Amino acid sequence: MEFDLSYYIYWTLNYFFLFYGLTLVALYFFAIILSNRSVTRNKRKARFLQVNDIVSATDIPSITLIAPAYNEGQTIVENVKSLLALQYPFYELIVVNDGSTDNTLDLLIAKYDLESFDSTFITQPIPTATVNKIYKSRKLQYKQLTVIDKNNGGKSDANNAGINFASTELVLFTDADCIIEQDSLLKMVRPYLEESEQEVIACGAAIGIINDSVVKNGVVVELKLPKNLIPMIQVVEYIRAFLLGRMAWSEINGVMLVSGAFGLYARNRIIEVNGFNINTVGEDLELGIRLRKHMEDIKVPYKMVYIPETLCWTEAPNNTEVLIKQRDRWARGLWETMALHKDLFFNRKYRDMGMFYYPYWMFFELGAPIVEFLGILSLIVFGLLGLINWNMAILLFTCVYLLGCIFSTISIFIYVKNFKHYDSGKEVIELLLAAYLEPFFYHPLLVLGQVQGYYKKIFGVKSVWGNMKRKGFKTLPEDKI
Amino acid sequence: MEAIILKIIIKSLLVIMLIVYGSIAFTMLYRKWRKKHLNLIEDTFANVTSMYLYPNPNEEPDLIKIQRTFRNLGIVPSKPRNVQYLIDLMIRTQRSILGENYTKLKTLFTQIPPYGASANKLNSRKWYIKARGIREIYEMNQNQYTRDLIKLRNDSNIYVRREAQIGLVIFLGWKSLRLLPYLKRQMTLWQQIKIVEKLKDLYPEPDLAYLRKAYESDKPYAIGLIMRIIRKFNLQEDVHYIIQFLDNQKFDIRECALYCISSFSLNNDQLGEIKEKFYNISNVEQKLQLLKYIQKISYEIDLPFYKNLLYNGNDIIKLSVADILWNNGYKEEVQEYYYQQYAMQNDGEKVPV
Repeated sequence: MEFDLSYYIYWTLNYFFLFYGLTLVALYFFAIILSNRSVTRNKRKARFLQVNDIVSATDIPSITLIAPAYNEGQTIVENVKSLLALQYPFYELIVVNDGSTDNTLDLLIAKYDLESFDSTFITQPIPTATVNKIYKSRKLQYKQLTVIDKNNGGKSDANNAGINFASTELVLFTDADCIIEQDSLLKMVRPYLEESEQEVIACGAAIGIINDSVVKNGVVVELKLPKNLIPMIQVVEYIRAFLLGRMAWSEINGVMLVSGAFGLYARNRIIEVNGFNINTVGEDLELGIRLRKHMEDIKVPYKMVYIPETLCWTEAPNNTEVLIKQRDRWARGLWETMALHKDLFFNRKYRDMGMFYYPYWMFFELGAPIVEFLGILSLIVFGLLGLINWNMAILLFTCVYLLGCIFSTISIFIYVKNFKHYDSGKEVIELLLAAYLEPFFYHPLLVLGQVQGYYKKIFGVKSVWGNMKRKGFKTLPEDKI
Repeated sequence: MEAIILKIIIKSLLVIMLIVYGSIAFTMLYRKWRKKHLNLIEDTFANVTSMYLYPNPNEEPDLIKIQRTFRNLGIVPSKPRNVQYLIDLMIRTQRSILGENYTKLKTLFTQIPPYGASANKLNSRKWYIKARGIREIYEMNQNQYTRDLIKLRNDSNIYVRREAQIGLVIFLGWKSLRLLPYLKRQMTLWQQIKIVEKLKDLYPEPDLAYLRKAYESDKPYAIGLIMRIIRKFNLQEDVHYIIQFLDNQKFDIRECALYCISSFSLNNDQLGEIKEKFYNISNVEQKLQLLKYIQKISYEIDLPFYKNLLYNGNDIIKLSVADILWNNGYKEEVQEYYYQQYAMQNDGEKVPV
């Protein structure tokens, strides 16, 4: 047979895609086993340390919740009210006003009767943008509230300012617009109380989607599935990501990312690594990797853990434009973080993280959108060249589609089995349908967003965070309940 | 790859999908049925308990009938989950009842099923069943099993040994501390907290002889536990035990010592001792903590100590010292220091703050 370059490329790519796909499928099946074990183990452990025991305990680690706020005037008062109501005996709340240009600070001062304190001698282990004033409430019922007013420096910088001013053992980061379950701190502290062999440096929990749900006084009173298909598919995506992905990683101590929207960290360790990196949009992943590297360097056994319960609710992008922007930002964050820590790649010094976890992220998190994009391109090119056997291609596509559906269905099964958020038949059927529509209506948008993000990084196109236009959940006035 | 193989794979995947669908449907239906059944057990238990505690005049509770009712509801050894639910109900009820009714309830529970279920769990191979059994034993105050708990105090599973150790504290009180130097495995923070709490709730009078015997232990978790006990019981005469660990090499021990010392006030000798230890602490955050504590408990400002830190300390410590001096009437000292720094800057030297 004559040497034909296009034929040669065609088969090389085909085998590459097949090998890549099979590896991914094998990893996903492995993740199902691990996550199932992890969820079951977590449930068993939780029986021996119930929230009622913790809430009445003394000597438990104190926690500061740090909530950066930038132009959140519309919702800040309600959100702070809800954050102040969290159940935890030793709890402080620091709201960092990151140079808002609206009335965020004025509203906080008026509502919570804040008075300013001299900040001349305040120590700042992590350098941040200038802190203008520190506010504390004159009212006893808000004594755990501190508001830091600083110049604008971005979310990471605001978080760093919060870390500086916190005086507790643990710090929890969240977004000011997240709805946090009232007993979430009691659940999040469990791993810190129960671990003895390894130091827990960070703990995350599942995050849920709250679009179209009913919220009263910062508490979710009626959880509903979003009506719009895009956030509805994100419900499935989040279930799959947290329940299959993060829980599986947690089982093998491979968690590198604790979501920036809801993560609890040991304050002393964060200070040791100099806080969040303000030069990346993937600050949560970057911090996670840096913390792990630090622990490896100082040779202290450590753990980053996830708990399967959904303790934090957030509003998901409601339209394609915002969704693409969000994924574009996430992709840039991933790219930047992977580039910053490229020394980890197959680096034996960092043991499992260097040899497995980081390469996994490189090949299958950073690499997946590129491979998918290449796959679509090859399909078009080889299709035009008449090299594709369409009958086989359709059968192969059906296989891949069914595998994807199975993974989503199993995630939904694990969720339904262990949690009661979506327990009516109608809701489960809707979730399943959303999962089956995902590859056609949703996934291409993700790939587009991610490839766009990579493009910006490769060609140095500047980009900003961008604001997400929130549709909002239904907020009931008091007399409606 | 042959098309036939792909078709077989597709069919297999469809079968898997059907199995998962079946599992989802089964889970949802079972949950509904189970909820109904558990409600039935709960209602029956509530009726039995109230009838037993508050019987109608001239009406003796019919234990045979009660036993039969529970059996019909599935409270039999072959259905451990039903048995478990009933045990949980018993524990919950017993926790909320005091006085004469508590004793009556204890008698009732010995006469109705399940019989010896918690003790049987101690022989289970599964850690979560064994640990649950131990918890039930101490929650139901069944101190006849103390010997069994002693055997499990060093179990390889952290939950089993934790529950066993908590049980021992509940049954033996301060005497249980004599076992501390003989514990072979790690103790979690929760374990320490729980032990201290149980001692405080059930044995509020400290027995220092047993506590001081435990001082022999050099294991970090034992040291942590003892310091927490000293703090909780406010044992001023034993505060020297905490002081000695303020500059320990281990971060966690120092952290615990700093936390525990914070509730005590000290005499001048002890204050002097911790000021000496201050210089040995490597972690700046912990130094700051100790500095705040020293300032809080000192009657007067120890100017040489603070000035030494102002001129020779770490930048962050210097700032804190400046804060303390400034707010305690030593503004001149702070200003003098800053003038000196300013002068040094003008001389082209490095400025530390």
